[in-house]
Amino acid sequence: MNPKKILSILGAGIMALGFACVASAQISPQVAKLKPKDFPTQSIEYTVVYPAGGALDITARLLAKHVEKATGDKILVNNRTGGAGMVGHTYLATGAKPDGYTVGVLVNLVWGDAMLRANGRWAYTDLEPIAYINSDPLTWVASTEGPYKGMSAKQIIQIARDKPGTVRVAIVPGSMWEYLVEQVEGATGAKFLRVPFQGGGPGVTALLGGSVDVAQGFYSEFRGYVDANKIVPIALASEQRTTYLKDTPTFNEIYGSKQFVWNIIRFAVVPKGTPADRKAYLAAGLQAALKDPELLAEYQKLGMYFDPALVKSTNIGADLNALALKEREFYVKTGRLK
Amino acid sequence: MDAFHNLMMGFTVIFTPQNLWFCFLGSVVGTLVGVLPGIGPLAALALLLPVTFQLAPVAGLGMLTAIFYGAMYGGSTTSILVNIPGEAASVVTAIDGHEMAKQGRAGAALGMAAMASFVAGTLALIAVTFFSPVLTAFALRFGPPENFGLMLFGLVCTLYMISGSKIKGVLMLAVGFLAATVGLDVVNGRDRFTLGNINLAGGIEILSVVIGLYGVAEILVNCETITKNHMLAERIRGLWPTLADWRASWKPMIRGSFVGFFFGLVPGGGPVTASFMSYALERRVAKDPSRFGKGAIEGVAGPEAANNAAVSGSMIPLMSLGIPGNAVTALLLGALVIQGIQPGPMFITQRPDLFWGVMASMYVGNVFLLLLNLPLAGLWAQCLRIPYRVLFPMILLLSIVGTYSANKNVFDLWVMLGFGVAGYVLRKLQYDFSPFLIAFVLAPILEQSLRQSLVMSPDGVLIFMQRPLAAGLVVASVILAVLVFRQRKPIQPQGDMS
Repeated sequence: MNPKKILSILGAGIMALGFACVASAQISPQVAKLKPKDFPTQSIEYTVVYPAGGALDITARLLAKHVEKATGDKILVNNRTGGAGMVGHTYLATGAKPDGYTVGVLVNLVWGDAMLRANGRWAYTDLEPIAYINSDPLTWVASTEGPYKGMSAKQIIQIARDKPGTVRVAIVPGSMWEYLVEQVEGATGAKFLRVPFQGGGPGVTALLGGSVDVAQGFYSEFRGYVDANKIVPIALASEQRTTYLKDTPTFNEIYGSKQFVWNIIRFAVVPKGTPADRKAYLAAGLQAALKDPELLAEYQKLGMYFDPALVKSTNIGADLNALALKEREFYVKTGRLK
Repeated sequence: MDAFHNLMMGFTVIFTPQNLWFCFLGSVVGTLVGVLPGIGPLAALALLLPVTFQLAPVAGLGMLTAIFYGAMYGGSTTSILVNIPGEAASVVTAIDGHEMAKQGRAGAALGMAAMASFVAGTLALIAVTFFSPVLTAFALRFGPPENFGLMLFGLVCTLYMISGSKIKGVLMLAVGFLAATVGLDVVNGRDRFTLGNINLAGGIEILSVVIGLYGVAEILVNCETITKNHMLAERIRGLWPTLADWRASWKPMIRGSFVGFFFGLVPGGGPVTASFMSYALERRVAKDPSRFGKGAIEGVAGPEAANNAAVSGSMIPLMSLGIPGNAVTALLLGALVIQGIQPGPMFITQRPDLFWGVMASMYVGNVFLLLLNLPLAGLWAQCLRIPYRVLFPMILLLSIVGTYSANKNVFDLWVMLGFGVAGYVLRKLQYDFSPFLIAFVLAPILEQSLRQSLVMSPDGVLIFMQRPLAAGLVVASVILAVLVFRQRKPIQPQGDMS
């Protein structure tokens, strides 16, 4: 009596009842051309390192649905969670067999894990990127009520400079949420009161409850509160403004700089050593799905952003590794890494 | 009666054969995952999430929420029958529920658990239906200082949970605190007590702890007498709660509903804390607290009501704000998002059909679950006829599958085994695990909210006095602690310490 089996039988029963839509198998010729003879003979696992229901999980599940459509392969989304992603990252870099049956769906927080927390057991280069999926720039949001109502990012930061330690900002320790605040402080001489939270979501909740003055989050996660006029985005940590937040300036605009770039970048990897033909086939399947207007529309509806430079990239591995190196520079500069 | 009108609209949405079918299906699956030890609602929801892609939002969401509260119905079954909790939220039910089963009253305990779940589920839903906006505002006021006050209060309440030796109880409480510190430091993001093991970077998985301490340890203890059942089939008498049971249980049910609803509503709470708090409360108000732990039906009715009400309570921040209070509601949120629905403050006004449809489906689902679980109570009680040497290997197998399915990490199984062996040794030494578990659940939130509050506060600890809600909770905790101390002192010589 394997309970998973029971559940999957129940699930299959539901499907059989006719509520499932049968995907018409229209395998694109480019993908079919690259298909190795002996691959795949079983389902492919998409490993997601964060829990089911989160932004990455949703990204991966929508992606899997469309890759299945584009390739006809069976894909299983599996959440290997724990240690704020560390367990899944380590599994992909050291535990997963490089046989093409494991694809990791990651965010760039993996770089920080590799450089600061893996203690040399693995490196981010043990994971080879095969496709860029989408992004979310880290965004500062403020409340539409309370003492900082209606103020711009520049005004609030000015207050944090004039009266150091009075403006409370939600951070996630040891992550881009903290680094961005650090950069802003370094560039402007402001001093914030950093209130630690475990994740961006709880920080935004604290903002709604008036426990902090500034929270940092991602548009796809906080847009419901923007629509309801509860919070207002005040600055983006991206190179340029995004399509969703046309009226929100970037930190780089405000301070005439280039250093404030903290994006969540979601991408797919295979473990190092995956045979080249399988890797090419997996990449082609992902590319085909990521060109599917239906999938792009779903991502857009969720408020996910596509970084034009990464979408156009012809060598995604090299381009992402270049970004990882840039992050490394920050760690070295701030003394986190020697 | 705008809410009433809206709810009726919700019922018209839900009363289609398809929607009712999925609500029923969710109730069945929920009962099942509740009954099976180790397999929690989280794993079941993650597994069934892809299925909902193809469904209409109200059917999909109705089914997923039914699994969540259905698990609270089923969770008490194995707690009562074999002293192995099906869910963390049913740990406390085992204390008196299993004693009742030993006395041959398994059916009464199971029936009362189902009834309590139904009463609480429905009462809480009525509160959600009519008071959502007010309660939402209240939940939002729970910032870090208020959360700290609440966790402190919860911790003091657990002093009432300690049975037997005080020293052993406090020791377990302390060990629970220590175990909870393993993992990432909430303030500086550094690893703590992980011994360089990445599997410990996220802390010790609570599911492994519960299944190990309660499931594996119970099986090990029973290995000694595996050839014969404690409970002979002949001793099963009375499959239904008696009139006296009802008389004793209705007040605990109502109290449990309120406690549970409150702990579901506020950010740091949840069904596990709620069930423990309700048990502590019942013990406090009982005329004869010594009956607890020896088969008091109040100890089943209260906590079972509480964990169910907590599920309904947690729907308020989820539905009206898009704030998930725990991993399961986070998954429900994900299910909404995949359907292209943006949860948040606008959700109820933008999609009244969906919100009220799901609310109506919860009323219906609770009725399904009652109809499902009341007759099942008698049936489950008959399971005691299965010899332990057949039943326990099956339970062990399910525990392993369930624990693994939560994170897909083999390390969790070793943790489960380790806690199983530790639990066996501690049982032999007559330690009670409840203080350990409650400290383990409360400590992370207590620590985080304390440190957040201190970071936020310009005046140090005074922040707990400057915010009225927090101040009230802290003062209440202190008064309660003094009461415990004064009440306990004369009893102490009678403890196991000698």
